[in-house]
Parts: sequence; structure tokens; C-alpha cells
Amino acid sequence: MKAYVASVGLEKVGDHWSESLLDLAVGASLKALDGRKVAPQQVIVGNMFSSAGARQEHLGALLASSLGLKGIPAYKVESACASGSTAFDVAYTMVKSGAIDSALVVGVEKMRDVEPEEVSLALAMAESVEYTQFVGASFAALNGLLARHYMERENVSRDELSALPVLSHANAVTAEHAQFRKAITPEVVARSAMVADPLRLFDCAPVGDGAAAALVVNENAIGRAKGGLVEILGGAIATTEFSVYERKDMLRFEATETAFKRALGQARLPESKVGLIETHDAFSVVAALSLEAMGVSKRGKAPSDAKEGRFNLDGDMPINTFGGLKARGHPVGATGVYQIAEAYLQLTDAAGKNQAKDLEYAVTQNVGGLDTSAVVHVFGRAQ
Amino acid sequence: MCIVDDFFIYRIVRHFRYHLHVMKSKDRVGIKGYGAYIPFQRLPSTEVARVWKGGGSGPNLEKAVASIDEDTVTMAIEASQYAMKMAGIEELGAIFVGTESKPYAVKPTSTIVAQALGQHYTLAADLEFACKAATEAVQVLTGLVGSGMIQNGLAIGVDTAQGRPGDELEYTAASGSAAFVISKFDKDAIASIDCSTSFVSDTGDFWRRAQEKYPRHLSRFTGEPAYFFHVEKSVRMLFGETGLKPSDFTYAVFHQPNPRFPVEVAARLGFTAGQIKTGLLNPLIGNTYAASSPLGLAAVLDEAKPGDKILLASFGSGAGSDAFSFTVQNAIEKSRGVSPTVKSMIAKGTKIDYSTYTKFRGKLTR
Amino acid sequence: MAIQFWRIRDRYYRLMGNRCDDCGAEFFPPVYRCRDCGSRHLADKDMPRTGRILTHTQLHEPLPGFESQVPLNLAVIELQNGARVLAQIVDTPQEKIETGAKARAVIRRVQVDGDSGQILYGYKFVVG
Repeated sequence: MKAYVASVGLEKVGDHWSESLLDLAVGASLKALDGRKVAPQQVIVGNMFSSAGARQEHLGALLASSLGLKGIPAYKVESACASGSTAFDVAYTMVKSGAIDSALVVGVEKMRDVEPEEVSLALAMAESVEYTQFVGASFAALNGLLARHYMERENVSRDELSALPVLSHANAVTAEHAQFRKAITPEVVARSAMVADPLRLFDCAPVGDGAAAALVVNENAIGRAKGGLVEILGGAIATTEFSVYERKDMLRFEATETAFKRALGQARLPESKVGLIETHDAFSVVAALSLEAMGVSKRGKAPSDAKEGRFNLDGDMPINTFGGLKARGHPVGATGVYQIAEAYLQLTDAAGKNQAKDLEYAVTQNVGGLDTSAVVHVFGRAQ
Repeated sequence: MCIVDDFFIYRIVRHFRYHLHVMKSKDRVGIKGYGAYIPFQRLPSTEVARVWKGGGSGPNLEKAVASIDEDTVTMAIEASQYAMKMAGIEELGAIFVGTESKPYAVKPTSTIVAQALGQHYTLAADLEFACKAATEAVQVLTGLVGSGMIQNGLAIGVDTAQGRPGDELEYTAASGSAAFVISKFDKDAIASIDCSTSFVSDTGDFWRRAQEKYPRHLSRFTGEPAYFFHVEKSVRMLFGETGLKPSDFTYAVFHQPNPRFPVEVAARLGFTAGQIKTGLLNPLIGNTYAASSPLGLAAVLDEAKPGDKILLASFGSGAGSDAFSFTVQNAIEKSRGVSPTVKSMIAKGTKIDYSTYTKFRGKLTR
Repeated sequence: MAIQFWRIRDRYYRLMGNRCDDCGAEFFPPVYRCRDCGSRHLADKDMPRTGRILTHTQLHEPLPGFESQVPLNLAVIELQNGARVLAQIVDTPQEKIETGAKARAVIRRVQVDGDSGQILYGYKFVVG
């Protein structure tokens, strides 16, 4: 069986004071469902902390019921910041195998209903409660430790690292669903408030609400209506040692390495054919190490490659074409589905001013923790 | 071995006078190891004076201040770990923590220390008697060890003393700890605990009601009727019944609420400035309350020689005084370098200002 | 949180990790399976209390409960037995906190559950 993304729905990422978690999820779902006359046979929700953020669990059933979809399986999948793509991977696997013919995947996160300290605590739950949270290390702190290690070991400068958030912001200017649509300079990054040194405010993805939906189908569900389809060529999930400091080489994102190779293997696609990557820039250092793990840049060179323009929309490997996590935004459990929806827009030539030219194959890479979980999908145009 | 030793004479005298006040254990008891802990921060008394008096200074130069993440429990464990290392023993039969600044009014500090030391089959309790709670612990342990009930016991004196903001005690109320392993006397004893006395009366010179955050105290009354009266009573009783006199001692250590009182009481009792010098720490670290005379003792043990006799007299408000005679043993030479010395810990201080001090000691509510 | 604290107190008070009986590797926090040889024959062991800083950061946006300690210094310390510990660095001048610096474990308040809840005591590190 072949599996496809048949339509997507995206809410703008930002502060949705008037919308609840459910409002956002339903909004994105309807946008995806209205595009196609396909009744999903399953609803899978990707979300990280609806408990702490909205005092709500049981999201699968809640959404299915709200959409008037009765009698179908519906549940939530959680894998920290990789929840969205993990939910998608479950749907992909089941649809490709023919176990079901269609699934609605919705990534949703409501981050603004609680105060920033509560969000920080919820995000810290991606890491060990007893040995990371309890000692006072937030998620940003772990990334700060990793960033210093990276910059010291690989001789990466502040200016080089700044190229990544600068690029994300540049792409978001013309992205309608992006949270921050203002271009920035390396000086802005270097002068922004210190969060977890050496990481500054502009190295870190923002807090925001959002929801993105994707309708996954196989031939049985879609019939002859082949327009507007993007084929899911491969997908893989890999996990590695839980805490980043447990790994012999902290700078090697093995989960991403493994998932990337496996996904490309399934797609029978050589690395050289990948035309675009939506990579996980929750922190600038994570984007850098992700790109290096995928072999796009040599070790320590991703930031300088970014500075040289290799990853620009018109470069030889465009990344984060709508602004990535930094500028499009990072409603954590929803992010994976945003990346996939953006790859869909690219491959259906619906990316407007953000359109990458001559694109055949796109890759999405979504990470939970500090590459503790990595989820990679490969997409191509439907034949 | 001479049969007619101190203890023999003691038993004879005791036979005729059943009202003896000097306490000696049946079996000989000694200190097998000791440890000290002084936190890193120092608040100059000029800082306190700057804020509350617009200038000048207090009676001491600086005081040691516990950091924001330190408390009685953490300092007790630090000192205990050194004491245990020096003593080189595996098991403790009793752990007593003497303090008036426990973080929990109900939940013993001593069980946390026990857990940290891996000790479970042990008597554990927190004692309170203002600044003499630790020396009482030594006396109780002398009884437990001397009677053969236990082999080794740990006495800890520790406090994060609080002074009411703007009160004169704020110059000196300081943080620190000292711990002593008390064991059956053998060749590894660093010092023998020869004898001790204890004198108490109901004297309210300094007190803290149960729900209050800061203590209160009388002013001039804390001198003669409190400190001097009780310390002189316990020491003179010890001299009187043992025949010991000031010149028998190489060192004398007194409770030190300020730099003046121990100097004055030493002179009255017949000690010289030279005898009290090593154990007088208040000018540099302030008054560490239950750790005050114990830290003085640790400082003395850091340099004392075999054969030296040490007199120690504590004072606890409320009020009472315990006086001890110790004799340093040969094994003290083996103890050098095992743990950091009191001098080295005093030297490691970094100055802080008054606002940092208030943040650390919780005087600013958040 | 009191029960979660209580359960790990020995780990926190004594820096107690575990050691693989088969290959000798030592771990902190303790593991369920040896990371080197996969063995499940593991025994509790106190870790050495000295090591070197592998990397460090200064956190300006604290987790709830740590506001009074901002900026918080955190580090990954590689102990003498190869085990790595994530911990706060305290009582150290900022310029002395650097990769490669020697550090030793001390015992401090790690987390406090408000004014009436319990206190988790445990390891932090001091440079020098």
C-alpha cells in the first residue's frame, strides 16, 4: 500500500487567548477535513502536556467526539516535543499496512493558559524528574550545557551559531501561520537576554499555542482523486540514552542518525536526493547537531554552513522554510505535525512566497528531549 | 600500671561523699575523631553597623554565614563525615545533634545525619539547650560508651544562628558545626575525656518562644547572672573535686558569644591569654551557638600535642554550663591531614554584603 | 513530592549510584542494566566525590522553587570513576567555573517544598 498526506490544516501559532486547547484542535481538524471528503477511520492526537497546561487528558476521544466522529478509535500519543510526528508515524504505519485506510492526525498544544514557570516545569518533564528536575536543571539549562560543550569542542563562534535563528526569522517573514514574522540580525541574537548561557533568548524557540492537522490516507480511502497528494515514502522513530550527559559523545545525535538512515532506507532514497529539511530548531544548537547527524553538514560546520547561505530558501539545502521552531513557533506537541504540513505545502506547490524551487523530496525531523527521541519522515510528490 | 590512679581516688572519695558533682564514666572514654565545618560566606560586622548605625563596627571582625542552600542539617553532615573519616569506624550506636536552629521543629536532624552516614541501628535524637546542646551530647555519650551500652557515638554541635535584624546579636550570630566521635578509650583515641561537670539554673537571659522567628534577650543580665555565674560554677566545681588547676592545662576553650566574655572569664578563673588564644574563634567567625565551644575545641585539637590537657566550658542560655577536662593522646599525630583544619576553613571565607546576607538567611520574604 | 524525595534519599545524600558486577562499570544515576555490557547484576555503590567539569551553564530562567538562587550554575561533572553527574555548582566565584576545573561534592538543600513541605538534601559541587 502507498500512504499519502491528503490535506492539512494549520492554526497560526501564537497567543490564542480566546481559544481553548480543544478549540484549536477542532479548528485545525476542520481545515484538514474540509479539504477532502474523507471520513477518518481513526483520530490520533499528538500532545505533550495537556494535563499541566489545560488540566485535560483523554484528548483522542475528546476530539473525535467534538468532530462528531462516533465509534472510531481515538487516542493521544506523547513523546515530549516529538509527540506530533510520533502520532503521525503511528497513523502512517497503520494506513500503509492497510489496517486502516484513513486517519486524522492532530498535533495540539496550549501553552498560554498557565504561567511561564508552570510551562517550564511541564517542559522539564521531558527529562528525568529525580535527577534533572530536582537539581534545578530546566530544559533550557540542558540545552545550554550542550551548547557550551558544542561551541568549546567544535570551535563554533557565537556569530556562526546566530546564523540559524537569523535564517528561521528570514523565512517566517512571508509565512502566514508563523508566530514571529520579523527579520533579525546576528547582533539582535547576540544582544538578547541570556537564558542558559551561552544560549540567549533568540537561540530558543518561543512559547505559543497552536494546532496542526494532517489527513493520512491510502489508495482505498482516496480512490481516484490523486490531486493534492503527497506520498509518505518512509518514516522511522529511534530513541537513545535518556539523559544527554549519559552519552559517551554528547554531540552525536544518534537517535536522529538512526531514524534518518532508516527512513531514507525505507524510501529507497539516497541522501543526495533530499531537497529540503524541516529540522528541529527548538534551540539553535539542536538544529546544528541535527543537521550534522543527518550528514548535511560536517561535524561542527552546520552554523558556518548556515552563515554561508547553504540553507537559505534559494540555497542548496533549504531548511525550516516557514521559519522552523524558532520563528514559525513551537507549540511543542503540535510541532511535528506543523513540520509535516509544511513539507506537504512545499510538495504541492502551495508554499506561496516560501516555495522551494524544483523540489522532489522533503524530510521532516522532529525531536523529543535532547535527541532522546527522533522521528524522521520522507515525503515525495504523488506519482 | 599504677593502681592508685585518678579513678581509684575517685571511688574512695565517692564512697565517703555521695554528693560528688564531677562525672566520670566507669570505663575510660575518648574522642576518636572530630570534624568541623565553617561555611564560605563572611559578613563583616562593619556591614551590620553600616546598615543599622550608619557606620562603626561590632565586637567581632566578621561572622560566618550559611549560604542560601545550607542549614543545620547540611552542616551537621559535613562535619560528621570528617569526624567519621578520622575515627575510621564503621558503626555508631548513638547520634545526637545539639542545635537550636533545626529546619524542622518536628522531624529529627539526627535521623537525616544517620541516613547520610548509613547508620540505622542507632539511638538518634536532637538535643536543645541553646549553646550547650552539643557538650551535653558529649556527656550523654560518655555515659553510653562508658557503661558499655554502645561502642561509638557521635555528638554534633551545629547552628545557623539568627539575630533579629538591627539587634546587637546580629553582629555575631553565625553558622558552623563541629562533630566528635566518642568511643571506648584505646590506643587510637585522640584525646581522653577525663571528667566533666554540669551546672544549671532557671535563668532566662536569652530565649525564643515556640512560634517566634527570632530570639529575645536581656542586655546586661546576660553577663554576670548568666554567662559568668554558670561558667565559673561548673569550672570551679571541676577544679575543686579533681584538684586540677589552670596551670595543669595547655589550652582552655570557653563558649564565646562575643570576643570579650571568654577573655574575661578566663582571667577570672586564672587562665592566661596564651592558653585561650587557639580556641578563641569569635573575632573571625562570630558565635556559632551550639558549635561555639566545640569548634574552639576542634581548633585546639588541630594543633595540640600528646600529653596536653584541655579545659572546655560551654554555656547555654536558660541556663547552664558544662565543663570538661581532656587529655590529648599519642594517636593525635595520626589524625593530622585527614580533614581540613579549622584554620583552613576560616581562611576560605569570602565577604558578602548585608543585602546578600538577608537574602541568604531568609530575612527577605519572597 | 515528599515520597519522591524519600525514595531517592540515599542516592542524594551519599551520591550512591551502582556498579556492574560483571564488567565493573559504575553509573550515576543508578541504571537498571549496565550500559556497557547489558548485565543486570548491579550493586549499589557510593560514587567518588571528586571530578572535573565537562560543561557548564548559568541559568537565568529558573524552575519553580529555584527563584532565589538565580542565576543558577549547573554543570555536568565527570567523576573519577567515569560516571557523570548533573548538579549545581555553588560557593564558587564565576570565573572559576570552567570546563576542566576540579570539583568536589558537598551536601546542600537541593529543593524545598515551600514553607511547610519537606526538604530534599543532596549533592552539589564546589570548584577546588
